[in-house]
Formats: sequence, C-alpha cells, structure tokens
Amino acid sequence: MPKPIRLYVHYVDAFNTFIGKITMYVIFLMMAILLLAALGRTLFNWSLIWTVETAQFTMAGYYLVGGAYSMILHSHVRMDLLYGRWSRRRQAVTDVFTDMLLIFYLVVMVIGGHSSLQYALEYDQVSRSAWGPPLAPIKIIMLTGLVLMLLQCISTFFKDLARALGRPIDRENSDE
Amino acid sequence: MSNEAIAIMMFSSMMLLLLTGQRIFGAIGFVAAVFALWLWGDGAVEMPFNASITLLNWYPLLTLPMFIYMGYMLSESGIAGDLYEMFHVWMGSLHGGLAIGTIGLMVAISAMNGLSVAGMAIGASIALPELLKRNYDKRMISGVIQAGSSLGIMVPPSVVLVLYGMIARVPVGRLWLAGVIPGLLLAALFVLYVAIRSRLQPNLAPPLAAEERRDISLADKLRLLHAGLLPLVIIFSMTGLFLMGVTSLVESSAVGAGAATLATFIKGRLTREVIRETVRKTLSVSCMFMWVIMAALSFSAVFDGLGAGRALQDLFIEQWDLNPWMILIMMQLSFLVMGMFLDDTAMLVLVAPLYIPLVISLGFDPVWFGVLYTVTVQIAYMTPPFGYNLFLMRAMSPPEITLGDIYRSIVPFVLVMIFGLALIMAFPQIALWLPNLHYGN
Repeated sequence: MPKPIRLYVHYVDAFNTFIGKITMYVIFLMMAILLLAALGRTLFNWSLIWTVETAQFTMAGYYLVGGAYSMILHSHVRMDLLYGRWSRRRQAVTDVFTDMLLIFYLVVMVIGGHSSLQYALEYDQVSRSAWGPPLAPIKIIMLTGLVLMLLQCISTFFKDLARALGRPIDRENSDE
Repeated sequence: MSNEAIAIMMFSSMMLLLLTGQRIFGAIGFVAAVFALWLWGDGAVEMPFNASITLLNWYPLLTLPMFIYMGYMLSESGIAGDLYEMFHVWMGSLHGGLAIGTIGLMVAISAMNGLSVAGMAIGASIALPELLKRNYDKRMISGVIQAGSSLGIMVPPSVVLVLYGMIARVPVGRLWLAGVIPGLLLAALFVLYVAIRSRLQPNLAPPLAAEERRDISLADKLRLLHAGLLPLVIIFSMTGLFLMGVTSLVESSAVGAGAATLATFIKGRLTREVIRETVRKTLSVSCMFMWVIMAALSFSAVFDGLGAGRALQDLFIEQWDLNPWMILIMMQLSFLVMGMFLDDTAMLVLVAPLYIPLVISLGFDPVWFGVLYTVTVQIAYMTPPFGYNLFLMRAMSPPEITLGDIYRSIVPFVLVMIFGLALIMAFPQIALWLPNLHYGN
C-alpha cells in the first residue's frame, strides 16, 4: 500500500481509538442522569424536566460517536454460514467489495445528517417538549459520529484491500 | 413493477447480501439506502438518517446499554460464584444435581439481567469447569449452559421484550410479567429433562461423592444461603421498584446498573481494570445492537412506504384464506427461517411492524404474541447457523468440547423448548395470568 494510505489508516485508527476510549465512559454520565432523576423525584420530590431528553441525547452521542471504535473492536456481527468457512484471504477479497456498499450507506447517512442539521440551524429547530432544547447541538454530535464512522469504514476498506492483495498493513488476532 | 414485486426484490437482495458475510448493519443499511433513492429519488436521501432521529425518541432503548453494562459487571462481581456454590452444595447429592443447580443459577442470573450474554459468560467460566471436573457428559454440560442462559431474555428484565414493546406499543411492564411464568416453566422443563435423563443414564451426570458431601455440615449449608441475599436485593431494587411504580422503566435499568457496581464494590472486586473492561465491552455490544437497529429501521421505513404490511395481510387472509392459527404458526416458522440469516433484533425491527397489526386484527393478544416471539428467539439463539449462544459457547468452551458436541448438545433442549412453546400457544393463560392479575384486564 502507498504511504499516504498507510498513514491514513494509522491516524484514523489512532484517532478513533482515542475518541472511543473516552466515549466508553459516557455510560456513567447516562447512568448518573437517570439516577439523579429517580432519586430526585422519590427522595426530594424534584421534577426535573431536562433529564429524559438529556439522557436520550447522551445515548445518541454514545453509540454514534462510539461507532467507529466498535469497528476497530470488531464488534459487529456477520452472517457467517459461508463467510466463517472461508480463508482469511478470501474473506478479505469479499470484504473489499462489500465494504464499498457499507461506505455507500454511510455516505447517504452523512448527507442526510448534514441536510437535517442545516434545517435545524436555519429554522432554530427546538424539541417539542416542556423543556424544548435546541436540536442543532445534538445533530452536530450525531453528524460527527457518522463522519468518524465513515472515515473508519474507509480505513477498514484499505485494510481489507491490503490483506486481499496479500500484504496486510494491520495486525489482527488469528482467530478473527 | 408492482410494489409487492419491489418488496420481494428488496428482501431477497438483503438476504443475498447477508450471505456475503458483510456486517449485518451494513448489508441492511445499504439495501435500505439504495431502494429509498431508487424509489423516491433525491428527496429520500434523509430517509436512512431519519432512523437515527426515530431512535433518539425511543426512550426505552436506554435500557439496552444499562443491561449490557449490568451483565458484564455482575459477571465480574463474584456474586455468581457464591450463588453457584450454594446451588452446588444444596443440589449436589442428586443425580444430575449440578446440572440442575446450573439451571437454578441461570434463572437467578436471568432475573438480574436482560440479555443472555451474561448467563453465557458466567456459565462458561464458573459452571463449566466444575461440571467437567465432576465427569458430567460434555453434551449435557453444553446444552444446559446454552439453554439455561437463553432464559435471560424471557425472565424479566428482558431487552428483547423492551424492543418488542416499543414496536408493538404494548406496555413493557405487562410484557415482563408475562415472561415470568413461561420462563419458569421452561426452566422447570429443563430440570425435568435433566433429572429424568440422568436417572436413566446415571453415568452422564454423577452425584457428588459421599465423602465430599459428609464434609459439609448443615450449618455450612445454611450459611451458604447468604449468597442469595445480594441477588435478591438487586432484583428488588430493579424489577421490584419498577413494578411497584416507584421508578420508570429506564430509571430502573440505571438503578440495576448502579446496584451491580455497588455489589462489585462491596465484594472488593471493583478495580480499575474491571471498570475499563466492562465499559469497553458495553460500548462494543451496545454499538453492535444500535447500528443494527438503526439500519433495520430505515429498511422497515422503506418497506412501510411500499405498503408491504397491507400486502402481507391481503395475501394471508384474502388470497390464501388461512385460518388464524395457521397464520400464527406460519409466523413462528418464518421467524425460525429468518433467524438463520439475521440476528433477532434486526428480525424484530424488520418483521414486527408487518406482523403485529395482523396479530391484533386476528384477535390475538399482542402481549402473548410477544412471549411466543421470545421463545422463538431463544430457540434461534441456540440453533445454527446464526445463534448468539452458539457463537459464545464456541468461543468460551475448552478444546475438549468440540463443535460437534456443541451442535448435538442443543437438540434435546430445543425439543423441550418447542414443547414449551406449544404449551404456551395452547394455554395463553400461562403468559397472561400474571400481568392481568397485577394490572387488571
């Protein structure tokens, strides 16, 4: 693989790993918001109108921004009836083709997310609830997650391509 | 081209793409995006993204990462080890006693967790080595652990039922209560099978040696019952408070996650390493589920736009003139077939919007159908080629248990589960009695 591609793979993987290792602790933020809502209501009779939506926003950021790291962790299941029986090389050759479809899906997601964000910015879109927070910030976070996922899938594509050509540029466990 | 033909084309291209082994979320998402753009042009470019906005509003989904976290935390806490010792000592003298104890342990774990992964992890790390050491038959062991851990999605709390409740618009509390008796029924059927089998073939499941039993005094036995205390507190703080209406569904899952963390802390095992690994696995599994659900939602939105639900209804009722029970059985069969290609979450998001209106229009109770669906998913978890428990068993079992052993081990348990499914179909009250008692009709 040419040097720019190897550098791309290296830096995208490193960056997404860094972001992922921070994002994985966001679960505690979600837990804290929900516990605050539960304890506040039962013990102190507070009615906090912002907890439900804040927790929902946190969740959206959690899995979308964490998506790229989950690609690195090989979290996503596949139907392995045929795939599981192939050699690692043959798997990589197939992946090169189907990764392009995955990238297509993510490009559509990014375009859709971008146009949805533009709408939110242009019309100062707010959530229809008692609290009514603006929606642009969460849409920016969601779009960021999708863009990172797209970058990561392109990196995955390059890694599969290199393996398909017989010159892997990444190390992976033999049992994958 | 007619809408029906397009819908069939869409479904078959998804199946084909899944066969290539691309990640499920990618395969489904791609088909959804391409068909949306092809059918409705550039205006549909936001359609796949809109699924993420729908998910943003699906509040109950927050239980998913909470239960995943809770499962991993509990398996690190050492609670399961203590519980297992309790079952081990109390049941050890029976034929097949340890296998029965393992099922008991799995029911307890299921009541603390909404997925089957935690049960698998605990079964493979705690019960499996003990059972091997006592010369239990390998196939008996593998079958018991897989079948037992599949109860995780039936006994409340259950993530599968949360997802079903969101799609079918049925209250989750009702669904959870509806899962209690069927879950216990299945556990009892497993126990019955193990007990009968090991009475007929005692070499498959030898009882504890007599001298090992004599070493344990009654006082020791009673002291071991303490192990059950912490789990009871956790179950009460989570499911108990929810059913009493003190906490909301999502809050209760956070309480459960917090309680599991606290329990691990009390047992002195809450190290930095444990926290880091738990949150990493939680992110990994949550992302897997969420991205699949997101892709499946866009697929189902396109499907809906094609009017596939109405077309299916016409086909079953008007054209084939099937009676309600035939339709119900066909639905169950279609779950089993699709379960070979898809994971259950994707399947639920794809098919439930088509099936549930049909189920209701046929006069069946959607709560009851949710329980039937869950049993089918339990079976799908254990049967090749696509079974989560099967994957996990393969990854976690020691080399002396071969793939052939694992595949063969599930056969009797799947038969027992099909029998259980038939019972619940024939007697809906098994599922519906408890929720009707608690909430009224």
